[in-house]
Amino acid sequence: MKHLSKIMTLVCLAAILLTACGAPATPQTITVKETVTVPETQIVEVPAKQTVVRLSGWASSPSETALLESLLYRFSVENPDIQVKYEPITGDYKQALLTSIASGTEPDIYYIDIFWWQELAKNGVLLPMDDLGVNRDAFVPSLIDAFTFDGKTYGVPKDFNTLGMFYNKDLFDKAGLEYPTDDWTWDNLKEAAAKLTDLSDSTKPVYGFCTPPDPGRFPAFVFQNGGTVMNADNSDTTLDSDAAVQAADFYTSFRAEKIGATPADLGEGWQGTVFGKGQCAMVYEGGWLIPYLRDQFPGIKYGVVMPPAGPAGEGNLIFTVAWGISANTKNPDAAWRVVDFLTNEASQTTVMESGFALPSLASLQGSDYFKNNPNSAAIFNGAFNGAHPFFWGAVGSDVNDEMGKALERIFKENQAVADSLKAASEAIRKAIKEQ
Amino acid sequence: MQAKFSRKKITEAVTGYLFLSPWLFVFIVFSAFSLGYALYLSFTDYNLLKPPVWWGWEGYARVFDNDLFLTKALPNTFKYVLIVVPIQTAISLVLAFAMDQNLRFRKFFRTVFYLPSVTSSVVISLIFVWLFAPQGIFNQITSLTINWLDDPKYAFYVIMGMNIFTTSGTLMLIFLSGLQDISPAIYEAAQIDGADPIQIFFKVTIPMLRPVIFFVVTVGVIGCFQVFDQIFVMTKGGPLDSTTTLTYLIYKWAFRDTTIKMGQASALAVILTLIILVVTFVQRRVIEGSGSTTQ
Repeated sequence: MKHLSKIMTLVCLAAILLTACGAPATPQTITVKETVTVPETQIVEVPAKQTVVRLSGWASSPSETALLESLLYRFSVENPDIQVKYEPITGDYKQALLTSIASGTEPDIYYIDIFWWQELAKNGVLLPMDDLGVNRDAFVPSLIDAFTFDGKTYGVPKDFNTLGMFYNKDLFDKAGLEYPTDDWTWDNLKEAAAKLTDLSDSTKPVYGFCTPPDPGRFPAFVFQNGGTVMNADNSDTTLDSDAAVQAADFYTSFRAEKIGATPADLGEGWQGTVFGKGQCAMVYEGGWLIPYLRDQFPGIKYGVVMPPAGPAGEGNLIFTVAWGISANTKNPDAAWRVVDFLTNEASQTTVMESGFALPSLASLQGSDYFKNNPNSAAIFNGAFNGAHPFFWGAVGSDVNDEMGKALERIFKENQAVADSLKAASEAIRKAIKEQ
Repeated sequence: MQAKFSRKKITEAVTGYLFLSPWLFVFIVFSAFSLGYALYLSFTDYNLLKPPVWWGWEGYARVFDNDLFLTKALPNTFKYVLIVVPIQTAISLVLAFAMDQNLRFRKFFRTVFYLPSVTSSVVISLIFVWLFAPQGIFNQITSLTINWLDDPKYAFYVIMGMNIFTTSGTLMLIFLSGLQDISPAIYEAAQIDGADPIQIFFKVTIPMLRPVIFFVVTVGVIGCFQVFDQIFVMTKGGPLDSTTTLTYLIYKWAFRDTTIKMGQASALAVILTLIILVVTFVQRRVIEGSGSTTQ
């Protein structure tokens, strides 16, 4: 009985709540009348004109996020009618973006990476920007072309990076070597690596050159040897070609001859750290290493030159990210104005001067900034010297995985170079067939 | 009387479900629906960008035709279960038995052994990454120069060891409660009959613990089949796929690949569910069916 009375009280409470909601009493209409006064029309006026645009990207570092926020602040001052909501994604960006697209809640504007953006364009998720007024001629051709699919522009490149050869000046001085120049070749690289290697201190060995099993570094050597990773329309891999096998032979010879190492050999996940600690005299990295060294290893003295040329000349990789607009956006014009502002000359100059990335506008090529910053200039000029976009088609992640594993097999299981690349090519072909 | 009883029963049921409703809501939305939807997706071609398209058993066919699944993920997962489950069960049983004795600082040791279980697996994974780094503590103590997590021969065993380290505490606690449930009268009777401590352990304690052992092994098997976060943090399935397990492969297909294969990933998730179901069923037969103390 006790329980029953408790339940009855509950039911009564619920009943009271329900009636309270269901049938509004008369006094409440009076309060409604009170709110319908003149001030309300005034309040409504401003937000009705202000369009809200959501913008998202990965947050790679707090200072980079702050930089974007300062640009957006400048935008809001100049464009009071548009309110930009910045929603940075920490963690796995692509996973978060794809799930938000699947549920129809994606932001209006977001970062698209050269490595996977074509999947979005192919599936009609991105808005072509040609009708919105994109000026293709203003951008570095290879960059704007990288975001063109089926003759339509789907992204405005916000910045880019290539690989530069970072070298540690102190280690060069110690070995009594001349600093590298843009005219170096593979032979110079090999020679210098041998002379720079110093394994006398087993707790802190110094290697000449770092050769990570990284699909974002190794292809530069393939290009320098006249090879490619994929054929022209990405329908087949060319990793088992002679040019690629020779390149892999050269790339893995450093470690085999104990004048090179992988970052993992030295207990690090990234060669940037190894370089900063002075355990690798030369590494191939992008412009992102410059702010990292400034923050983490402020004492290091280093320089940057273009990667040494191979038998077939210069070869490099282009990494670039663009602003894309969602095909589902309700305010394409407002979104376009944001993208246009973020990629205009003033914004790109701010980004360039911060040292994070290189500008995508062709007009900034002759900027004074590059005269005063030869390190950034070397990375910028890489784009015009045998550079290929970091993009391998619809099976890109498989190509990367297989390329990395092919190098790992050579490093860790002493597999023959040609066999390892053959196995990788077969796995890639199988993945292509399953598309 | 009869009518009054059934009405009481109805109100009881209503209040019961009323109290259950928050949990039921969460269960239906986040578990039951997701399970059903994954089952549906396993028969579709779905890349997250376009609506799913029905393609029958194609996803399953592709799973069974995939080299990574056949040569790495499947054998790796079974190896993981077969090594981790017996060791963690044995260690936790021994620990529980020790903690059940009248030792000094018993409470202190219980806390120490249980501590890894309440620590976030990501934090423990990072600690292990540092412990087993080339210049890490483990190599310095043993004066080895092995790069544990970057060597296909060792990486998986480090992860196994870590899992044993973290889960043994929880399992110890379950065993401990099982041990304390055994009536002292049974031990007394065994002593009067002249059984020595070893005989008592194998002839009294173990049989009496059988339901608890079944529970611990089941929980262990299911947990091991689903091992993911440690691998995601420590090795990302590498080096050379030596730590790729079924759950990591599901993640790779569903989110990491350039072309998303959500349908194929869902098919693998369904296959994993079936594997766990069959293994649990067999194990129930083996553990509960072998003794006479089946309850």
